[in-house]
Amino acid sequence: MMLSSANLPPKPPPGVAPLPPEWTEHKAPTGHSYYFNKTTKQSTYTRPVFQPQAPSPPPPVAASSQAPQTPSFPGPFGGNFGQQGNYGQQGNYGQQGNYGQQGNYGQQGNYGPQGNFGFQGSFGPPGNFGPQGNFGLQGNFGPQGNFGQQNQGFPRGQHRGGHRGGHNFDRRDAEKRAKDRPKHRKDIPGCAPWILVKTKLGRRFVHNTETNESFWKYPEEVRKGVVELDRIEREKKQRKERGEPEEEVEVGVQVEKTQGDTAQDETAQGAEPRPGASEERAKDDNGDSSEYEEVEVTDDEDEDNPSKRQRTEEPAEDQPVEFNEDDIAYQLAAMGQDYGLDPGEYGDGEEDGDWEEGADGLPLTEEDSKALFRDLLDDFHISPYHTWEKLIEDGLVFDDDRYTALTNMKARKECWSEWSRDKVQELRKLRENQEKKDPKIPYIAFLQKNATPKLFWPEFKRKFKKEPEMKDIKVSDKDREKWYREHINRLKLPQATLKSDLTALLKAQPLSVLNQSTSMDALPPTLLGDVRFISLSPITRDPLLETYISTLPAAPDGTTASTENEDELVKKRAERERREKALAEREKRVQEEKRKQRRDLEYGKGRLREEEMELERAMRVNKDGLKGYLAEEQD
Amino acid sequence: MPPTRTHARSRKPPPEGFSDIEDTLLEFSNKMKDAENASHEGKKKYETLWPIFQITHQRSRYIYDLYYEKEAISKTLYDWLIKNGYADAMLIAKWKKMGYEKLCCVRCIQTKETNFSSTCICRVPREQLKDGQDIQCVSCGCRGCSSGD
Repeated sequence: MMLSSANLPPKPPPGVAPLPPEWTEHKAPTGHSYYFNKTTKQSTYTRPVFQPQAPSPPPPVAASSQAPQTPSFPGPFGGNFGQQGNYGQQGNYGQQGNYGQQGNYGQQGNYGPQGNFGFQGSFGPPGNFGPQGNFGLQGNFGPQGNFGQQNQGFPRGQHRGGHRGGHNFDRRDAEKRAKDRPKHRKDIPGCAPWILVKTKLGRRFVHNTETNESFWKYPEEVRKGVVELDRIEREKKQRKERGEPEEEVEVGVQVEKTQGDTAQDETAQGAEPRPGASEERAKDDNGDSSEYEEVEVTDDEDEDNPSKRQRTEEPAEDQPVEFNEDDIAYQLAAMGQDYGLDPGEYGDGEEDGDWEEGADGLPLTEEDSKALFRDLLDDFHISPYHTWEKLIEDGLVFDDDRYTALTNMKARKECWSEWSRDKVQELRKLRENQEKKDPKIPYIAFLQKNATPKLFWPEFKRKFKKEPEMKDIKVSDKDREKWYREHINRLKLPQATLKSDLTALLKAQPLSVLNQSTSMDALPPTLLGDVRFISLSPITRDPLLETYISTLPAAPDGTTASTENEDELVKKRAERERREKALAEREKRVQEEKRKQRRDLEYGKGRLREEEMELERAMRVNKDGLKGYLAEEQD
Repeated sequence: MPPTRTHARSRKPPPEGFSDIEDTLLEFSNKMKDAENASHEGKKKYETLWPIFQITHQRSRYIYDLYYEKEAISKTLYDWLIKNGYADAMLIAKWKKMGYEKLCCVRCIQTKETNFSSTCICRVPREQLKDGQDIQCVSCGCRGCSSGD
């Protein structure tokens, strides 16, 4: 689906329509005529349209169809862009991005009608191009404005900067324009040639693939299909979210939905020509759900307001969608935490406060949350030597619940640095307790595996120069060579000498390191690092060694202070369990709070809806009454 | 012909504890290589140097933190790192002074290089700037490194 033709800006009306009351027509020095509004002090090249008589929205032009039939009116995707009356009709400022093409404005500088170009401050720094903006090649785009001056006294840099600003504006403008376009199409079940098209901004229209007709307003026969489609989709979404089907889509919801649709259609007719107005109205009565529908259709300019966009995407008045809204709020909060914002900064402050205050059950103190975070770091085996940035970039810890125990990034970072300091100390202590690993041991083992009398040392070195044992910088090359030569020389000795040397070596080991309980996997390093130990091949050596170990007496008693350690460990574990329980409980409370809020919201919405219906009824009664009265009089 | 001496042969092993931080330092050096080889296209002349300064700052800060804040590395290792160019000693020397705790690069406080013998704009505290003024200094792309910010 492409809508190239609909992307074109609206063209000026063919016939000269009368200007609205406050507008007057003027001629610019360049010969263009422009329009000035006395009350709003707005000037524009677009001929203002007389608002109240604006026609109903034309059908959106789809795929292969021709240009919009009513050119004076913005197509759904051309955006209501000429409406604020700035530049739109001359067209396409951003897209072509070339002032010269628009017919040399600004060669003289002094761009016409004290022009408030652009979109009501939607571009650039305020005051750039502002009223009295002096536009053009010699003009000064800078913030000072400087009307009518030919810019002789100005430094070049400023001039350049101004140009750049202008380009920026172009690009942003183009982006803005290109924002809305069709994104998804779906077949409507039961209405064969009709398809439902969703635009990038979440607005929807129906399109008939056979007749190439498109409507914002769903025709009667299609509406049923759309409602059905919505329902199916919602169910699908629910199932995906919770992994379980939920059967609470009652008929009532459907009915409401259709009502909403009709309301939407009516409002769409009325409000399309003037998005500003509709938005204002939407702002006025925020609670009203049918108004959202209207926004869904007309909202175009308010893209910077994210909350509004969220609302445009939801079909408003059924329960699962409200869940979504809350979900979004929750996600927002989580995101805010990710970015290190305080709760207040993204506007959910009171909620957080509530969660903290409404604490009953296990309390989650600050130390607890800190400890939880430290547990998290421990559990993920984060290296205390790494940087904080790396931890964040890796993002492994985000998924864990304990990550949210601390509420902002600053606290987390603090906690992390404390933790890493402690952890480093701990590691150092551990390492001190551990006996130093002799770098000789792996090299000796390597020799046993690979050394042969057939290779001289340089050959051996070259052959294995990629091996880590040969590259280890803790062993010097000289030592390596010495051990190699020694080992090779010993390999040439008779077996009997080798055996006697080994027994001598074994006997030299003290009983504390080599005793009956010594296993073959954990031999003392003094043994493993000796060249005499590897002279015999393991096949002959190991049985010898085993028999020797079995003849040894048991190890001398070293009383262990293990009971204390164990106690400590148990205590630590208990503490940790308690903390985790507290966190889980807090989560639960948060969920409950959320549910409660949702319920409140729903209740409020329901009441609003009721009120509005009441109002509507009252209005209708009044009209009928008046009509009836008039009819009576005529009679 | 003199024998070719490989680097590894003549190298003394680094002090104890180097293996702990080796990975991180390697990452930094990879980043630095990327920054050195990054294309200059579409950048200002001075902009190409920004990542270099930034990575140097990060690496120096990493080592500074390890030694002074966390006390995770020994004095010998710290000295060795400085000697081998893993950290900028001049920069670290400034960080120890009051008011320079967050200094981005030494060039930004070099008043002799500026026309009005002033420091770089990034040294100006945020509250003394105009509201909403967004700065990025020319020498290292710093957005503000005054201690009070």
